[in-house]
Amino acid sequence: MMMPILFLLDRMQPLFRAFGTDYGQMRAIVAVKLTLDNRRSYATLGTLNKKAEAGNNAFVRMLGMYAFIGGLIAVMFLVAPTNESAALPLALFFAYVMVVCAMTLISDFSSVILDSADNAIVLPRPVDSRTLLMARLVHIASYLFTITLAIVAVGVLIVAAKFGAVAGLLMLVLSLLSSLLMVFLTNVFYLVLMQFISEERLREVINYFQIVMAIVFYGGYQLLPRLVDVNGLRQVFEWQWWHYLLPPFWMAGALEMVIKPVFDGPHAGLLVLAVAAPFVGLWVMNRFLSPVFSQRLAGIDQAEAGSTKPVARIAAQPAGSLAERISDWVTTSPLEKAAFGFVWHQTARDRKFKLKTYPQLGFGLAYVVIMSLNGGMGNLSKSSNFYLFALYFASLYITTAHHQLSMSDNFKAAWIYGSAPIREPGALLAGATKALLIKLMIPFYVLLSAYVLFRWGIQTLDDIVLAFFNSLVMLLATALNNNRYLPFSIAPDAVRDNATTRGFANLFILGFIGALHFGLTYVPYGVWVGIPVMATVAWYLFRRYRQTDWSAMQTAYPV
Amino acid sequence: MSTPVIDIQNLQKFYGSAHVLKGIDLTVSAGQVVGYIGPNGAGKSTTLKILIGMTPDYTGEVSVLGYDVKTQSMEVKRRIGYVPENAALYDLLTPIEYLHFIGQLYSLDKTAIQKKALELLRLFQLDSYADARMTTFSKGMRQKVLLISGLLHNPDIIFLDEPLSGLDANAVVLMKEIIRQLADSGKTIFYSSHIMDVVEKISDRIIIINQGRIIADGTFAELQHQRPESLEQLFAELTGSEGQSTVAGEFVHTLNS
Repeated sequence: MMMPILFLLDRMQPLFRAFGTDYGQMRAIVAVKLTLDNRRSYATLGTLNKKAEAGNNAFVRMLGMYAFIGGLIAVMFLVAPTNESAALPLALFFAYVMVVCAMTLISDFSSVILDSADNAIVLPRPVDSRTLLMARLVHIASYLFTITLAIVAVGVLIVAAKFGAVAGLLMLVLSLLSSLLMVFLTNVFYLVLMQFISEERLREVINYFQIVMAIVFYGGYQLLPRLVDVNGLRQVFEWQWWHYLLPPFWMAGALEMVIKPVFDGPHAGLLVLAVAAPFVGLWVMNRFLSPVFSQRLAGIDQAEAGSTKPVARIAAQPAGSLAERISDWVTTSPLEKAAFGFVWHQTARDRKFKLKTYPQLGFGLAYVVIMSLNGGMGNLSKSSNFYLFALYFASLYITTAHHQLSMSDNFKAAWIYGSAPIREPGALLAGATKALLIKLMIPFYVLLSAYVLFRWGIQTLDDIVLAFFNSLVMLLATALNNNRYLPFSIAPDAVRDNATTRGFANLFILGFIGALHFGLTYVPYGVWVGIPVMATVAWYLFRRYRQTDWSAMQTAYPV
Repeated sequence: MSTPVIDIQNLQKFYGSAHVLKGIDLTVSAGQVVGYIGPNGAGKSTTLKILIGMTPDYTGEVSVLGYDVKTQSMEVKRRIGYVPENAALYDLLTPIEYLHFIGQLYSLDKTAIQKKALELLRLFQLDSYADARMTTFSKGMRQKVLLISGLLHNPDIIFLDEPLSGLDANAVVLMKEIIRQLADSGKTIFYSSHIMDVVEKISDRIIIINQGRIIADGTFAELQHQRPESLEQLFAELTGSEGQSTVAGEFVHTLNS
């Protein structure tokens, strides 16, 4: 990927010089960044934690997914309309392209845009802020353009087939312009955020933003097909004044000129907006935003360095009295208590963990609500037993979260487990699991069951209780079946030995318990009888888990 | 005294509400080795970052080589070298690739960089690692690469922030000698460290700062003249952390209790 990009850059050299960048420096920075991306052991591009060899494949797979979903949407929107009615579906499609670009930029590339590792290396060198910002933009654009091409590939083909090659080509160009515009808007977004919040908070906010985005992303795919009314797409589109305010309509209007074809003032205006806005944005970024941006960015490290005081104060507090009180209540040994407190705090602060866990939980809830309201997707949700299925969502997500618990970017700190005189690692595992149960699973389950109770009535109570114990059994059985690691002790990409047989065994456990529950609902009082049995099983499994000794552990800490 | 290469007048710096530098006045002339020392959080690294033009939001007058570091930071950066304290480099690159990259940022000629970088790596006994990724490097090896990357463009002033950390004893001797000879050839070295006996030995002039203010300034002999002790003791006395042995006693006592 690197060579073609550098080749293209060399062709566009005069353009960059016109923007006042030092081309030699910019090319060097871009080349180094692309090299680093290739060699990174796990791609920081997004949350794809794949090994170096897999890194490129992961990106290709991601592209495949973008192309597939983009293709579906293109088919949905773009096949039906005629020349007269094409504007709205096109605008919706461009809106989709823009939203995906913006989301990708914020969730996957914020680390690139806000990369403060550059500070120590590049900022002391005679590189001006324009050149640095341009290098960053080119680096990001090289990925974003590839992604955009993947998204619009099918759409462009459809448009080209229906309305001619010129329209297809124009659509391609407009799509790339859309992504460029999004780069500008995302930068403005960051700058505005940086004005209002401190740099350290910024990372927190972006983290939460990523979580929300992920929920919207998942949820959007569920909702979108339901929102589209195919007949509506065939209606002749009337332009309204407010359409001129929305960028997707600029693109759609410009394209409509060729498709309809129509040449009038309003359309010419839209074409000008579509073409000019991204370049004006680029110019504004280059002229006004880049100095501010770099300066703010340079502050990130310093803010971190300067924030030693509040951190010390937090540490000096009696370690979050809530966690303390709960752990007094639920843990039975000092080791358990230690792991409980550790996991409790770490799961609240480790951004990677939060990013991998919370979106799924949020989506789980949203999914259940949407499915139960909508009744789409076959007869699964129509059946009165849908709530049973919904109740096991908690178990699925918490099992994943439990798995995440062993991973941390800071895994090297796990030497402490090796140097401390720990006789029974099972106590650590037990404490960690308890913290996860109390902090994530129980609140999530309460929310879920509250909704189920509200929607399906009080007679579901027995199922709710049984499903809770079943979920515990599933979680513990999976944990016992998998490799056991101490909390936050292994590198994020190290968990690859999860053999397929194990995976199948886990699925089997889940399926078996779920089927059991379903069967019991047909037996009078079956569920009520099942509850104490499964509670006992859960208790037994937890005991087994707690008794894990060193021989059963996968010690991944560097000794 | 010739025209100063570093000239600081009433430098003040805030991080948020924290007053980090509370009026630093300082001039340095060419060919000096200046040891800039102070306890953690005294403002050493902040001063360095301002001097190299990385931190433009300060108040006061700061010029380096006659250029104002606020408005002419590119000219400053081109002619100074900086070796930061927390060994940040792109360790997925090989030393040669990294030095190439850095050289390009100074718009140096490619073949010249290549030749120079290889030769410098050889002198630091890293030539057999020239094409190995730095992820596997020890702290000392990284530090050597970092030192080369700060000096590659032959700067007139060299800012070193804890430059000897992680180096083995031989490399420390070598580096001290390099610093000395660079100074003798007319270059200025501005050197920040916590290791007192090194500062004591290589510095022509020692500046001690504490809580954002300069509290001592002079040759080691001059400072010693005031109180005939080692720099370590002098430092402790001036920065108000005397009686460390009492603290140590309490520390051990607390452990035992």
